[in-house]
Amino acid sequence: MSELEDLRAATRDLLATQAPVRSNLEDNPGIWKRLSSEMGLTSLPVEAPLSWTSAALEETGRVLLRAPFLPTVVAAGALNALGQDVAGLADGSVTAALALDGLDIVPYATDAVLLLVARDDELFVVDDFTVEALETLDLTRPAGRVTATTGRRVGTASYARDLQHLALAAESVGAAHRVLELVVEHLLVRRQFGRPLGSFQALRHRVADLTVLVEAATSSTWYAAQEGDDFAVAAPLARALAVEAFVAVAGDAIQLFGGIGFTWEHDAHLYFKRAWTTALSSDTRALKKLAFQRSGT
Amino acid sequence: MDPVTFRDEVRSWLADHLVGEFAPLVGTGGPGREHENVELRLLWEQELAKGRWIGLGWPADVGGRGASIEEQVVFYEEYARAGGPARINHMGEQLAGPTIIAFGSQEQKDRFLPGILNGTELWCQGYSEPDAGSDLAGVRTKAALADGQWHVTGQKVWTSLAHLAQWCFVIARSDPDSTRHKGLSFLLVPMDQPGIEVRPIIQLTGTSEFNEVFFDDAVTAEDNVVGSPGDGWRVAMGLLAFERGVSTLGQQVGFTREFEEVLALARSNGSDDTYEGELIEAWSSLQVLAHQALRTLSNDQATSTGVEANVNKLLWAPWHKRLGELAMKVAGPSAMLTDGELTPLQNLFLFTRSDTIYGGSSEVQRNVIAERLWKLPRDSWVSP
Repeated sequence: MSELEDLRAATRDLLATQAPVRSNLEDNPGIWKRLSSEMGLTSLPVEAPLSWTSAALEETGRVLLRAPFLPTVVAAGALNALGQDVAGLADGSVTAALALDGLDIVPYATDAVLLLVARDDELFVVDDFTVEALETLDLTRPAGRVTATTGRRVGTASYARDLQHLALAAESVGAAHRVLELVVEHLLVRRQFGRPLGSFQALRHRVADLTVLVEAATSSTWYAAQEGDDFAVAAPLARALAVEAFVAVAGDAIQLFGGIGFTWEHDAHLYFKRAWTTALSSDTRALKKLAFQRSGT
Repeated sequence: MDPVTFRDEVRSWLADHLVGEFAPLVGTGGPGREHENVELRLLWEQELAKGRWIGLGWPADVGGRGASIEEQVVFYEEYARAGGPARINHMGEQLAGPTIIAFGSQEQKDRFLPGILNGTELWCQGYSEPDAGSDLAGVRTKAALADGQWHVTGQKVWTSLAHLAQWCFVIARSDPDSTRHKGLSFLLVPMDQPGIEVRPIIQLTGTSEFNEVFFDDAVTAEDNVVGSPGDGWRVAMGLLAFERGVSTLGQQVGFTREFEEVLALARSNGSDDTYEGELIEAWSSLQVLAHQALRTLSNDQATSTGVEANVNKLLWAPWHKRLGELAMKVAGPSAMLTDGELTPLQNLFLFTRSDTIYGGSSEVQRNVIAERLWKLPRDSWVSP
């Protein structure tokens, strides 16, 4: 097994035991220390190929991690590429939030030490800001409305945006995979009409179609994470496909779980809400058009 | 070999050879167009043989070049980019040859591989039958040993290029008491004999590349069984395990050409605004096809599912069909007319209806994914 696979497996184990889905309805300060200073995952953007950060994000996506891992690694990668000092982000002592889409609803802003803000094509670091905490539909991802006072221009915003595209793709792909696994577990165990639900072809085919969507999104995310010459094309495309796949899987999952999937105590709605709130801040048509235009086709 | 040097070698060879008498071949042949330029494509196969481009990935000890996956990818990319015609013996190079290499005897390798490598012996595939299409294990064609020969009787269908091929690899039931996957044998049968009759099937495109093949006590030597008698299912399916998607990359360069043709038409007739969403969607999915193939080839263990080929098929076949439909919409009312012959886009539109049927229908691919990847149980009325 490669080092990357070791890392992926260790991260999965840690999150499954220390940050299972339900635990992410509330703050869990312990997990941040484990992920950052103990496992060193926040330093991946500056110390390893992008595919490593992407793999870690797939894992945090699986459990709908509440901690600000995604914005912190995106900020670390983006600022590092611009020659900024990112020691605090890399060791986890500084956490970030991202306001790159022009929205004033900023995920993870409530706990953030610094804010990365994009205005047009300019990127700013803001560490003097006030946050009004917001009630969110997605219970596993806090958000706030931000009022910034002063910011420091650090360069252009395009790479930060592309990193965020990739990060959201990876997180969505991880979550979509997990939902699909949970659905299949249910179809194998639940019996109706004297046989397992998974033996009904109507359901098997739905699972297969969802598998194709998730595998395709995984491939596009994998490809973007190789960070080739066409990263600026691949990253927004990966985000679009991953978000669409996540929305499709999370929506169908509630149907495939049947009544139990409609209950509060089941995890299906947590994934469904994460999927849709990700989609609501990801115009997938615009992302595909952006990728198409950048490709010069 | 350094892939840059190798790419240069492929590119310059194609530039030097896909010209002159072979120039008319550029962009011809392929699914739905196998009837095009047949005589010239036979010569082209031999031209490729002289350049030692056949059996590129085969091991050197059987006469191949032992090229790496990376080099094969380069070859397919450059070949497609140059507009190389569809290979008239792809059944030989891609299916019969690798199967013989993997499961055949030394005598079979010595006898059959050179004819594929030098482009003189063409192959066809005798799998599907009227009552065994997607359900291949239902084959009923019989094979019996008598007087030191196999005697084959039955009917195969959807056999492309059967009218040209010298040999056919046939799955036949050699144990008359067997059912399903057991008791099948993988036989190599010469096509030029009185016991075989080939009848073309006229497709909904009005052209013909598939055939029905009737075996009426056709014979082949006792030695012409690959693997043990009765072990034919394992031999036939074994090939799927080797398929890593190299050839799909070449296929995608062809898809890209088709997409660009549709896009150019939309831009020239001004329908690109109306169909912008669909055009971008088609482009996006085309990128995904490449990403999927590259990930499959990367051998990334963490994400290996064992159903890559099935996922690939469910991605490209419906995509191709949608592209054909989009081509018609972009062409507009003029696509209602023909000049007696189908335009390339009309042919794309019509032929792609078969993409989701042949080589395992989409419905079968879904079942395979459900069973092989997710271990979901079979429907109770399906016999194992």
